[in-house]
Amino acid sequence: MRTRVAAAVSRQAFLLLVCVGSLYPIWFMVSTALKHNQDYVLDPTGFPSHATFHNVWVALHDLPVPHWLLNSVIVTVSSVAIATLIAMLGAYAIVFGEFVGRELLLKVNVVLMVIPPVVLLVPMFVLMVDAGWINSLRSVIVFYCGLLIPFSVFFLVNFFRTVPGELVEAAVVDGASPFRVLRLIVTPLSAAAIFTLMVVNAIYVWNELLIALVFLQDENKRTLMAGLTLFQGRYNTNQPLILAGAFVSILPVILLYLSGQRFFVRGLTAGIGK
Amino acid sequence: MGERVEPAARALPAEGRRRRRRRPVWPYVFALPTVAAIGLVFGYPLVMVVRDSFYAGSANFLVYVGTANYRNVVADPVFVTSLKNNLKLLATVPVMTVLALAIALFLNSRIRGWRAYRAIVFFPYILPATAIGLAFSYLLQRNGTLNTLLRDVGLGGIAPDWLGSAHVVMFSIGGVIVWQQLGFGVVVFTAALLSLPPEVSEAARIDGARWWQLQRHVLIPQIRRTIEFFVVIEAITVLSWVFNYVYVLTQAGPGFASSVLEYYIWNNGFQNGSIGVASTVAVILLGMASILIAVFFRLRGRQVQA
Amino acid sequence: MSKLVVRSLLLVSAVALVVTAAAFARSTSKADDPHSGDITYWYWAESDAPGANAWMKAAIARYQKLYPKVHIKLVPQATDTLIGAFRTAAQTRSGPDIATQWATLPTLTPAWIGASVAISDYVPKSELAHWIGTAENQSFGKVWAMPIYLLGVPFVWNKALFKQAGLNPNAPPATWAQLLTACAKLKAKGITPIGMGNKDGYTGAWFFSLVGKQNLNSIDELKQAMLGKQDFAQPKFSGFYTAFADLKKRGCFNDDIASLDLNQGWQLFPQGKAAMAWTTDGNALAWEKTLGAAKIGVGHTPVWGHGKLAHTYDTTQSSDAFITSWAKNKEAAAAFLVWLHTPANLLSWYKATGVFPADTRFSPSNIKDPIAKQLFKLDTTGPAVWPENFLPPQVDGNADLPAGEMITSGSGTPKQAVDLWLRVIKQWKQQHPDEYAKYAKWASG
Repeated sequence: MRTRVAAAVSRQAFLLLVCVGSLYPIWFMVSTALKHNQDYVLDPTGFPSHATFHNVWVALHDLPVPHWLLNSVIVTVSSVAIATLIAMLGAYAIVFGEFVGRELLLKVNVVLMVIPPVVLLVPMFVLMVDAGWINSLRSVIVFYCGLLIPFSVFFLVNFFRTVPGELVEAAVVDGASPFRVLRLIVTPLSAAAIFTLMVVNAIYVWNELLIALVFLQDENKRTLMAGLTLFQGRYNTNQPLILAGAFVSILPVILLYLSGQRFFVRGLTAGIGK
Repeated sequence: MGERVEPAARALPAEGRRRRRRRPVWPYVFALPTVAAIGLVFGYPLVMVVRDSFYAGSANFLVYVGTANYRNVVADPVFVTSLKNNLKLLATVPVMTVLALAIALFLNSRIRGWRAYRAIVFFPYILPATAIGLAFSYLLQRNGTLNTLLRDVGLGGIAPDWLGSAHVVMFSIGGVIVWQQLGFGVVVFTAALLSLPPEVSEAARIDGARWWQLQRHVLIPQIRRTIEFFVVIEAITVLSWVFNYVYVLTQAGPGFASSVLEYYIWNNGFQNGSIGVASTVAVILLGMASILIAVFFRLRGRQVQA
Repeated sequence: MSKLVVRSLLLVSAVALVVTAAAFARSTSKADDPHSGDITYWYWAESDAPGANAWMKAAIARYQKLYPKVHIKLVPQATDTLIGAFRTAAQTRSGPDIATQWATLPTLTPAWIGASVAISDYVPKSELAHWIGTAENQSFGKVWAMPIYLLGVPFVWNKALFKQAGLNPNAPPATWAQLLTACAKLKAKGITPIGMGNKDGYTGAWFFSLVGKQNLNSIDELKQAMLGKQDFAQPKFSGFYTAFADLKKRGCFNDDIASLDLNQGWQLFPQGKAAMAWTTDGNALAWEKTLGAAKIGVGHTPVWGHGKLAHTYDTTQSSDAFITSWAKNKEAAAAFLVWLHTPANLLSWYKATGVFPADTRFSPSNIKDPIAKQLFKLDTTGPAVWPENFLPPQVDGNADLPAGEMITSGSGTPKQAVDLWLRVIKQWKQQHPDEYAKYAKWASG
């Protein structure tokens, strides 16, 4: 009995330790961001003695950070919206339609899910240069869209397959066009899944660095992540300010996470867990 | 079903019957945007990257060089270091798998507040690697927070220059990667464990199985597929999705000691303007990733049959 | 010919005439007007001269008041992406009208691919004659960029810490042996001898320029080494890595030099945590304000080598300004740049940053501060050369910077550092034969 309790206690202790480890770097980021640089230099590890939002305010107002924030929002919303729409159409066709290459298209999407984007980077860059789209948000939106589609199609195919076939057939027999069926029947039934997909995709795009770094080199056109690396270089003797900028960049993600936590779990385990 | 359709079809003139049996057009229309998008973003670059690997020079001055790029790249110690570093990072996969599994198994053992633990452990996974990297780059400075803490507890002897010493740098980067990826594993494994039929575990418990025996002989074997999946996914991740960490933590320093294949491609393609070299390494990376992709496919195929 | 055809021809000709007239009319009234137009200026200088960004913003405001039809957008650049971002702009032929790059190779390599126009085509010789340092950006008979300031890289030491260690505060180490002695004495008293940061590789790169040149007799030798015509492995080129490694081994550097960027390492000296350092004029003057004029000394880098270049100082215009080839109104860009050299602006630049303007019309009598006077004397007396300027950017970024990192992190020997250089020089030639050919032509002419 005692060993049972001891084992249980040690398990709890281990879990607590893991939690501390998971949260400490974030706590460090936040607490440093709330310190003045002088305080940080004197005491890098302790609690902020005079906690202040000054650095966060400066980070938010220091041009071109507001531009970066706006760019990230535009890029994220656009690419996720467009990719989700395209994937919904494609997944619907794969699940409820008959066409040449149906199985192949699904298989191709599954394979493309794991192609490293860096492999595609150089030719896409040259393409964008020729199109004159470098340093324009269009270039990253197009690229992200394309990158999001394989996983989105795979994910939606799995969920559309759980939609009862009779409902769809009944609607078809009633004379509904495929578009109507998708809009009025399949989408409402898969709403949670679609929302999850959009959240997962949004986080991917928001966090992405390499592509943004290459396609958007003009200072004002950068996304927040690419801009943060510049921010670091410019103020690298003022670490609280830099971490205030980092903190600003993780806030939207935290909010998304808190609002849709259970969706996350569902979303990520789809197709893998079971 | 057939009974309902047939009379209607027979009632129509022959022409109408033919029209009805022709394949519908709408799936092609619906699938077209997907095909176009992946054709543009995947198809075109994959072809071009192979072609470009046979050229040297910059974008506006390409010179055909045959296989010279491949020979030169393979002989470049920085490339070899980059490749080795990606392989070194593969060593993080068993670490994060074991840790994630342990945590998931603990959470599965009717711990109170396990949902909260899971939420906390998963939290780092969704954060941008860029922002995290900035925090860690200060934590891991030679006279930074981690070493200060180590020195305070008397462990100063093992306080190396985490990011500035070539011997330790990949270990440090691996640590940051494990810290982030762990949560993903925990979520995936707990979901798998939750989906297991409880009768098997109950039966084992009634039979008097100890906790450890239960985990090892009952639970883990049952979620073997999930574990395999996680391992393959993470292997692909450390091979080709670690640029952010290297760029923010060390810029491949010191002296390219922490370079990885993605960084090598980016540095040669966009800092040096050497399109050919970048494309060559991209092809090599693609080849390596393909092996893992084939494994991934195999596993999935087996799962579908099971 | 049918009526229809005739009428169509007439119509087409009429339209063509109108369009041509309009095009010409626009070009004569807009493009040649040096005091109107939109200019985007990609600017970098703050790292060399703290206060530069604010000064340039104010200068632009003044200029726009003088010429309301001109609108200039200032886009400060980051050090790490200065070269890369402009290369992308050059590929897309869009972005800045005026751009900044570091002198010589980083400025000439885009010029050689037609991304910029020669400033000497837009500015009269009489004006050019006043500028200091135009030779740094000369190629094929033209000057390709305008210098703005003159940057020296002095060796600085903390007089108070020297005294503490029993060293003469007014006699800085002049020879290498004296430097090593000073190191030992400071260490004995628990004082960090040299405080620098090399995580980003810039201290190692500076060491190449400050010490590495000292066994050469002419910078042409370095050019030949870049072309592979002389072997960089020869001690006269690369022997300095032994000295660099030696300093590291003796513990002359701060223990976290591999963990701090250059700018972060520069926090040690003004906080009194290190006794010696290398820095730029602008930073030295900022440190003087922190430490007090009595505590800081500035001078030549200790002599290590035996070549003629061992007695040259380390001055360069560092960054410059040039007009891009796709700029819509090059005359307007040139007019603004020339205006930056009017005496009033030269003086206000000096007052704002403490860095000396690269113009003979700036009178030294404006320099009042004693340390600044010393720096000015160092900058303008005797020959000076900054070898890093002569490295192709690929060699600078892939060999010069990482090789030094290998030494300070203890992960490479001097021989391995040199091998890196040799490999990168070969790779540059193989991957960019066009740039190599231009470099060869420029080096010989």
